[in-house]
Amino acid sequence: MQDYLFYIFSALTLLCGALIILSRNPINSAMFLVLSIASMAGLFVLLHAFFLAAVQVLVYAGAVMVLFLFVIMLLDLKVEQRRRINAFGAVTGLLAVGVIVWVMVTTMLGTSLPAVTEVLRHEGGTEPLGTLLFHQYVLPFEILSVLLLVAMVGAILLSKKDLK
Amino acid sequence: MITFSYSQLLGLVAPETILVLTALVVLAVDLLVMRESSLRDRFLVSGLFATVGLIIAGAWLLAINVPAPGAHEVVVGLPMLTGMYVDSALGRLVKVAVLVLTLCTIVMSLAATFTKHVGEYLALILLATVGMLFLISAEDVLMIFIALELTSLSLYILTAFNKRSLRSAEAALKYFLFGGMSAAFMLFGLSYLYGLSGSTGLHEIAARLGGPILDPLVAAAIVMVAIGFGFKIAVAPFHLWAPDTYQGAPTPSAAFIASGSKVASFFVLAKVMTLGLAHSGGSAGWGGYAPGWLPVLAVLVVLSTFLGNLAAIAQTNVKRLLAYSAIAHAGYALLGILANSPAGLTALVFYVITYGLTVLGAFAIVGLVEEATGEARLVDFAGLGRREPMLAFCMLIFLLSLAGIPPLAGFFGKFYLFAAVAAGGANLSLLWLVVFAIAMSAVSLYYYLQVLKQIYVAPSPAEPIALRVPAATRVLLALITLVILVLGCAPNLLLGYLLAAQ
Repeated sequence: MQDYLFYIFSALTLLCGALIILSRNPINSAMFLVLSIASMAGLFVLLHAFFLAAVQVLVYAGAVMVLFLFVIMLLDLKVEQRRRINAFGAVTGLLAVGVIVWVMVTTMLGTSLPAVTEVLRHEGGTEPLGTLLFHQYVLPFEILSVLLLVAMVGAILLSKKDLK
Repeated sequence: MITFSYSQLLGLVAPETILVLTALVVLAVDLLVMRESSLRDRFLVSGLFATVGLIIAGAWLLAINVPAPGAHEVVVGLPMLTGMYVDSALGRLVKVAVLVLTLCTIVMSLAATFTKHVGEYLALILLATVGMLFLISAEDVLMIFIALELTSLSLYILTAFNKRSLRSAEAALKYFLFGGMSAAFMLFGLSYLYGLSGSTGLHEIAARLGGPILDPLVAAAIVMVAIGFGFKIAVAPFHLWAPDTYQGAPTPSAAFIASGSKVASFFVLAKVMTLGLAHSGGSAGWGGYAPGWLPVLAVLVVLSTFLGNLAAIAQTNVKRLLAYSAIAHAGYALLGILANSPAGLTALVFYVITYGLTVLGAFAIVGLVEEATGEARLVDFAGLGRREPMLAFCMLIFLLSLAGIPPLAGFFGKFYLFAAVAAGGANLSLLWLVVFAIAMSAVSLYYYLQVLKQIYVAPSPAEPIALRVPAATRVLLALITLVILVLGCAPNLLLGYLLAAQ
């Protein structure tokens, strides 16, 4: 059962991810992004990370995407112009992707994964997550807060009109 | 329950914490107290606070709990942080060098007129420095990525700071888009390494990847990581953003991108390659090719020394010329990682520190000329030798040091690099790279001398525009010139410290 769910959710994530960049209307892209994020939340549930799954839906699929849609509508973006595809870019790009996919597939077929015997160390509630964030990952966590400060200062600074 | 002492952690990351606090103080003072003051006073007061913070952080790094030379121990009492923050003697010296470069950048920007947002400008410089310091002590791919993004994000904003100039916005957008792409590449490559080894620590990755036989997936990871870092350090063929960014960015920002961020990025790239991929090096020797990261870096060295030096010849704008020369210099610096030895690492650190100082000084002078004439074309330098003999002399020293003329610091930087790389391969098999790099270095002399010819030989324009040279910048330039001369005559003054710290 779990295996099937995994394949369903990952297929959905990938499919919506592709549709984000394939659809030419920005609103459609944003909606596919919501779907992609929601199916990723499903993957989190399969990993027993219930809290992360809930946060993923609330924050990303909910709050962030609403703001995203707001901005798109405020900017009144038109349907993207059809662009001529550069033949050189297409050929080299496909070649590179093909080689990487080939390498990945051969590696995956060649490796035999050990049977999962390890008992889950952290059931994905808030408490184990908090312990991890404030012990092992306390430094990255704090640096990310500095990074958000930089992003905030930058966003205000760049979007503000210099009165003059 | 695991005990975890936050006071101990705070003591460990004290220099970084001091800098974050300084940045907040600078922001607050400028926004709350100094609003009504003149631009000049605001720069002076905020700059003073920033300077004090930098000096305290530097003093802490040099004086308090300095780890024994060669020790790469995880901090006692905080085993959970394995690899996230490694305090080593050499790392501390590199951090102090970054702090010095930051201080020079701040002094350079004291008389700036391109922005009214003084507090934000200095705070972002300080926060970028925080990212660099964390980058220098990181031996964990998660930490490396986050610290690198903190640095890059601050630098993107610093590039866009001149809101009156269209070029500045264009430069920032190009830098941002290229930087975002490179971050994606790097993250993809690092995720392979994590997937193959099940760990984010560089030492664990090396231990679990093991073996001299290269997994194809490791090869893909190496290429991705090399592409990601290649963008950040601007080596060919990932250099496309550099000329436009250097030209469009406000001069202190460009100098900071070319100096401080390079020092930190090269140090961490050396760690990723020599520690994390310790057994996947392969060989780039002449006739002894073996797949691994060494041949990948060798390709980058050849391309960027070739392209950087030849493209620089065709430039008529001195900022673009310095950008292409930076691409060439990034190629030389990669040689230090290619040597794959402690001697190579020392040579690399010596090289990037002296290069950072030199290029910072050169940018300061170019910035002064640009401010007076509106653009930094080669012809704008005509007759500078007679109008501003002191600036002209400093520029002479900087450019000759960049070209690698003895007895200047740049010569010894290149000398140690080439010597380390020649000794790095078995049976001198890397000698072909050294010969190529020396040949390209000879080419570089041509375009540096082009600038000097304008300064000393070309006649002044009929109505020369007077340069406005702030006293602080003059002192800074004199000091940098002195350091380059002294390090050229007695390189052991710096090299001795670096060797003792290994």
